[in-house]
Amino acid sequence: MSSTQNRIQKSMENIRATEDMKQNTLRYLEMQRARQNHSIFHQKPYATLRYAVAIICVFLLAGVSGYSVYSRPVSYISIDVNPSIELAINRFDRVVSAKGYNADGQDILQHVSLKNISYLQAIDRLLQDAYYSRFLNRDSQLVVTVVSEHSDAMLEQIHANNSFQALDALTYSSDTACMNEAHQHEMSFGKYRAFLELSQYDADITVEDCHRMSMGEIQNRIKSCQGHNRKNVTEENSGKGHQYKHSKSHGHH
Amino acid sequence: MKSTEDVNRVMEAYADMVRRICVVHLKNKYDTEDVFQNVFMKYLLYEGSFESSEHEKAWFVRVTINACTDWLRALSRRKWVSLDVLAEESTVLDNPSKEILETVLKLPEKYRDVIYLFYYEEYSAVEIAKILGKKENTVYTWLSRAKDILREKLGGEWS
Repeated sequence: MSSTQNRIQKSMENIRATEDMKQNTLRYLEMQRARQNHSIFHQKPYATLRYAVAIICVFLLAGVSGYSVYSRPVSYISIDVNPSIELAINRFDRVVSAKGYNADGQDILQHVSLKNISYLQAIDRLLQDAYYSRFLNRDSQLVVTVVSEHSDAMLEQIHANNSFQALDALTYSSDTACMNEAHQHEMSFGKYRAFLELSQYDADITVEDCHRMSMGEIQNRIKSCQGHNRKNVTEENSGKGHQYKHSKSHGHH
Repeated sequence: MKSTEDVNRVMEAYADMVRRICVVHLKNKYDTEDVFQNVFMKYLLYEGSFESSEHEKAWFVRVTINACTDWLRALSRRKWVSLDVLAEESTVLDNPSKEILETVLKLPEKYRDVIYLFYYEEYSAVEIAKILGKKENTVYTWLSRAKDILREKLGGEWS
């Protein structure tokens, strides 16, 4: 060993890490280790996972908001014979829910699926259904009532359906106030509109009475009341006055 | 992340060397302490493994020198630094050692590294070249110039 080396080594050998320095550093490292373990999700290997989670969230959000737009109804159709069925229609003219408002309506919906098809297809499917057809006889009356901002256009399209035209059906448009009132009475808004019409002629009629009546019976009562009231009046609009025409009913007594 | 056992082991093995390299580069004890901690923090987070203890030691030398260089680069924005890096050793160093040390510390940075690694850690010029990422001839040149300066400052006994 050269003297140079000796001298330099001697000058440096007293430079040492103090015990304090070592202990402080060890403490600092353990603290950092605990912190790193705590935030292990933020470490590099998890970066991909975080991106994946973010992308999934974006898709979920898009899916959820898309689904919420899809599933939000903007129009309603009440189809009443004796079975009372209400369809909720989204902005894409698709049926997003179907509800039976009496036992017959609920029975039909048990075996006829009307959801996620266009309302025209839903009406067609319903009218073509063998079980439903049993309610469409000579004494029955099919009434279709629409609540929508575009009720006129919807009713026109419904009228264009061949099966529908063959059925001597009545169509009406109503409004959400009438619909909400109907639902409070657990009644379809189509049938409730008919009840309101009948109640104009027959002050004794109640919602409960109408619950037990088919649409044919209600319409017959309306016709007979109209006939009775018009004994001395020129007969105009006799018979099926509303047939293939739709009139506004605002649902207020 | 390295285990607590590994951290304790390297602390015992390399703490003094890391401190010496810090002293060779830095100007005060606070900077030394900070860089000392940084070096061991880098070890804690180091994902690689070492082939041998020599490999591990060389890793510590290189990481410490780089940490010091980075620290000095950051420090260059500071207006002043205190020159008390040897404050803790001033009581234990005899006069000749103190003079040698102070002369070594006044050498340009690149000469300080080669002097320390060659004379104290007893690395060969080839090994130093590898650690510092320089050509072997460059290391020889730096060693020769560093010795010239020491000879000039400290007298003719330097070979």
